[in-house]
Amino acid sequence: MSIPTTPAAMTKEEIIEKIKGFLVEEFETDAAKITPEANLRETLDLDSLDYVDLVVVIESNFGFKVVGEDFINIHTFQDFYDYCFNKVAQKTA
Amino acid sequence: MKYALVTGGSRGIGRAICVKLAGMGYHILINFQSNVEEAEKTLELVKAKGVNGELMKFDVSRQEEVDGSLGKWMEANPDKPIEVLVNNAGIRKDNLLMWMSNKEWDTVMDIAVDGFFNVTRLIIKQMLYKKYGRVVNVVSLSGLKGLPGQTNYSASKAAVIGATKALSQEVGRRNITVNAVAPGFINTDMTKDMNEKDFKQLIPMSRFGTPEEVANVVGFLASDQATYVTGQVISVNGGLYS
Repeated sequence: MSIPTTPAAMTKEEIIEKIKGFLVEEFETDAAKITPEANLRETLDLDSLDYVDLVVVIESNFGFKVVGEDFINIHTFQDFYDYCFNKVAQKTA
Repeated sequence: MKYALVTGGSRGIGRAICVKLAGMGYHILINFQSNVEEAEKTLELVKAKGVNGELMKFDVSRQEEVDGSLGKWMEANPDKPIEVLVNNAGIRKDNLLMWMSNKEWDTVMDIAVDGFFNVTRLIIKQMLYKKYGRVVNVVSLSGLKGLPGQTNYSASKAAVIGATKALSQEVGRRNITVNAVAPGFINTDMTKDMNEKDFKQLIPMSRFGTPEEVANVVGFLASDQATYVTGQVISVNGGLYS
C-alpha cells in the first residue's frame, strides 16, 4: 500500500485544487458545480456506497485516515475543504 | 509481486489452497495458529512450486495478534500488496445444543466470524486502494443446510455467507470480488473421526472429496477466469446438497 506524503508547504488553494481534481475524476462531476457553498452529497450524487470511493480517494491523496463519523458535520464543499485543511495540518504538524 | 494470504493454511483444505495458489504464481503467506511442523510442510510444498512463501503465526480471532503480525507485515511491505485473501481458518467443536458449553460456542464463532472480520477489514482497505482484490471465504455445507450437532459451526459459517454477500456489494465497483466455497465431506483431519462408509450412501458421487477438489474451485475464483463472479456460494460436495 502506498501512503502518499503530503507536502508540508501545501497551501489551502493547492489543497482545494487537488480535491476538485480527484472529485471530478472519481465522481465524473462537472467542475463548475463544485462551489464552496454547494452541498457535497447532492452535488456528487453520493449514495452510502459512494463513501467507500470517497474515503479511498481522500486517503490515497492525502495520507490521513478517515472514519465515518468525520462526515457528520460535513455538508458543503467548504466544510469538506476545512476538514481536509485541518487533517493535513495535523499530519504535517 | 503477487501475494496471497491463506488463513488456517497449515493443513487440510488450507494447505491444498496454498499449493494451488502457489501453482498459479502467487507468493503465499501461510497463516497458522499452533502446528508449526505442519505449517513448515506446507511452506515446502509452496516453495516447490517455484514461488516464495512465509509462515505467519497468529490467532485470527484475536485482533491484537492480527494487527501485530499481519498488520506489521503489511506496513513493512508496501510493495507487496495482498491480491488474494482466503479466509479458511476454522474449527469444529461439535455437541448437541442442549449440552453445548459457552466455550464450545464461543471458540467456533470467534475463529470463523471474528477471524473473518479481523483479517478482512485489514486487507480490504489495501484492495480498495489498488482497485483489485479476490476474497474467498471457505464456509461449509453445514452453513447452508445446517447439521445436527453443529449449531455453533453451522451458525458461524452461515454468518460468513451473509458477510460474503454483503461485502461483495460494498466493494464490487472497485473490482474486488468476494465469494464463498462450501465444501461437503472432505477427507481431512477435521473429518478423520467420520466413517466414510456410513456417509457415502448419502452422497450422489458416493465418496468424500479431496482438499485439492476444493482448492481447485478456490483457485478458479481467485483467477482471471472468474472476473464477473461475486457474492456467490459455490458448493463442492459431490451433489450432497444444493
